[in-house]
Amino acid sequence: MFSIIFDHVAYSYGNRDVLDDFSFCFTAGKITCLLGPSGSGKTTVLRLIAGFEIPQQGVIKIEEGVVSQPDTIIVPPHKREVGFIFQDLALWPHFTVYENIAFGLNERKMPHNKNIITDMLDVFGISDHLKKYPHQLSGGQKQMVAIARSLVLKPKILLMDEPLANIDIEVKNNIIIHLKQLRQENPFTVLYVTHDHNEAVDIGDEIVVLKLGKVIESGNSEQIRQSGRLFLR
Amino acid sequence: MVREIKDFIIKYLLALVLTVLLIVPVLATLFSWLLKAGETGAFTYLNKEAFLLIAKSMLVSSLVALFATAIGTACGFILHKIRIKGSGIYSILLLIPLLVSPYIFAVAWKDIWVILMGNASPVNSFAGVIMVHTLIYFPLAILITGNALANIHSGIEDAGLLVTSFRRMVFRILLPLIRPVISTSYILILIFSLSDFSVPAFFGVRTFTVELFTQFSAFYNHDAAIAQALLLVFLCLVLILSESRYLSSAPFFAVDVKGNLSRTYSLSKNAFIVHLIFLLLIVIAVVMPVCMLLIQSLSGKQNEFLHAFQLLKPAVFQSLKMALSGAVIITLIGLLAAHLQERNHSSMSNWILLGTFILPSTVLGIAFIKFYNQPATAIIYATMLIVLIGYLGKFGFIISRIMGNGFKQLPRSLEEAAAIAGSNSFRRFFKILLPLLFPSLFTGFVLAFVLCLGELGISIMVYPPGTELMPVKIFTISANASQSLTSSMTLISFSVTIFFLVLFYIGGKVLFKKYRYV
Repeated sequence: MFSIIFDHVAYSYGNRDVLDDFSFCFTAGKITCLLGPSGSGKTTVLRLIAGFEIPQQGVIKIEEGVVSQPDTIIVPPHKREVGFIFQDLALWPHFTVYENIAFGLNERKMPHNKNIITDMLDVFGISDHLKKYPHQLSGGQKQMVAIARSLVLKPKILLMDEPLANIDIEVKNNIIIHLKQLRQENPFTVLYVTHDHNEAVDIGDEIVVLKLGKVIESGNSEQIRQSGRLFLR
Repeated sequence: MVREIKDFIIKYLLALVLTVLLIVPVLATLFSWLLKAGETGAFTYLNKEAFLLIAKSMLVSSLVALFATAIGTACGFILHKIRIKGSGIYSILLLIPLLVSPYIFAVAWKDIWVILMGNASPVNSFAGVIMVHTLIYFPLAILITGNALANIHSGIEDAGLLVTSFRRMVFRILLPLIRPVISTSYILILIFSLSDFSVPAFFGVRTFTVELFTQFSAFYNHDAAIAQALLLVFLCLVLILSESRYLSSAPFFAVDVKGNLSRTYSLSKNAFIVHLIFLLLIVIAVVMPVCMLLIQSLSGKQNEFLHAFQLLKPAVFQSLKMALSGAVIITLIGLLAAHLQERNHSSMSNWILLGTFILPSTVLGIAFIKFYNQPATAIIYATMLIVLIGYLGKFGFIISRIMGNGFKQLPRSLEEAAAIAGSNSFRRFFKILLPLLFPSLFTGFVLAFVLCLGELGISIMVYPPGTELMPVKIFTISANASQSLTSSMTLISFSVTIFFLVLFYIGGKVLFKKYRYV
């Protein structure tokens, strides 16, 4: 299980400062929900951890090792042992469900067979759809494939960028149950971006509230609930 | 340091190559003329007569742009906003005049006049140029305005329909929304018409581009030709400047895999009239010219068609070879330029290709001849390489934009997901991007092939001795040949183009099925 440290990180898109002197330590093995309004920097935090963006100032450490420093990526995305569930899921449309999941295993040259993939899909109850293409799946099924695709690579950190937005509550609960079950078997750190307060309280061991690139509140669900500030606005 | 050098090479190598091949010849020719102009008195060529001729050409082209944009916008609206049966077929058939080389229609319209009216003199005039150019370029306006209309969010129209009638919503909301696109269409058609050499040349009408060609190739008065080229370049640059931002991204050159996302309307009444108008347009723009070419071809001596075939046979194969080579080169460079623009934020190559795209073919031709006619560059000047470079300059931008708009439709997250999964940039390109770009890649290749096959403006100026290209052969023979022989050759050229278009269309349908997931 890996902890993630942001040490005085600054990041801007053009003239707009997204993160300014941002420092925080995301605890290993916990589900941390990043909560905040649009433009508060939630997705940028995830993208910096994944190595898709480079900080302009400060350093980012994963498990004590510096992975990014100003204008330099030290550890490339595929060597950070992170999984990323994109907001648009980013399932490769020209690959079947099986190929989507096998792709990463092949690229990383991880030993695998069909059983590993079907077992993973079994957890989410979608192993019957191996030969289907993403456009032939329902919204919930696509979401499960995206999560399975990340988890099959056994990441130490799972970054989730509003992955459960726009799906019905039953499917959402189902996915959360599966995710928690998988974490019990193979613990990993989760950073979960959402703008839904209730979802954050339900899922998160810890909640971090961002506004204009700064942490304005953090703690466990109970502490956040008791502070009341967040929910009154 | 090594990484920085690598990044620099990736970003600027293509731009550097394109600058050397395409831009340096134009600038070198113009600057060397400017430097010597004082001594040789070349400025005298920029006289009242030259300005009057360019004003006349501008007037003709402005009328073409006006008529073509008006017809094209109306057709684009009906094809993209109204649900009519057969709109797909109409769209394809109406695109034919744009895909086939303009000289084919010039010859065909001469035939129409000869057969129906007895002589071709009415069409051998500015009015004839306006008519034929309008019929050739209105599909471009359909393409441009149709793309814009298809991308208007349905909510905008719904909100309008809640407060006003359909007609007022169209005139007060839809048309003002696409006004910038209509003006782009106008400017682009104006430049195309102004730059076209083949139609006025076939009609024997003295426009600015024809005069330029005559001064250079017939009178060998290079100073006069360059002086006039300078004027034309200046005019095109001024025209394009107002639209450069929109044109540089050219969203209308795209293979839209999302389909029409905007709202469409059913036609309860007047469907018959709409169909009638489209059929009439297809008959005038496509069917009649082809039929008349056929009639004229058969009207000559018994063996005229066979004679035409024998004359054209070597040129057909050479043209196909050149079109294929040109299409491969343009597709690859277009793909690279698009990748640099859309994924590396380096738009230099795209701007260079836009620059040569808007330059009239005759101007590019003159620049290439003057620049490459040196011992050091004989390998280019004396071989077909010079024609291929000309194709690249003329069509590279269109193909690059088709690819670029293909890239735009692919979310970056697809590549990022592959990066996380362990793919390096090389494998990401080949395993993720390339298969997903296939529709754009294939369309770009086909379009490049067809455009190269029919190119006349540059080819006629730069083709090396001993080589024969279809359009050049027809143009040179037409001066002394009978009308039926010219028509027979033109019909063969048209058939070859259509044969390959149909072949690619069928092939594309099969291949696109494989990529239906997109």
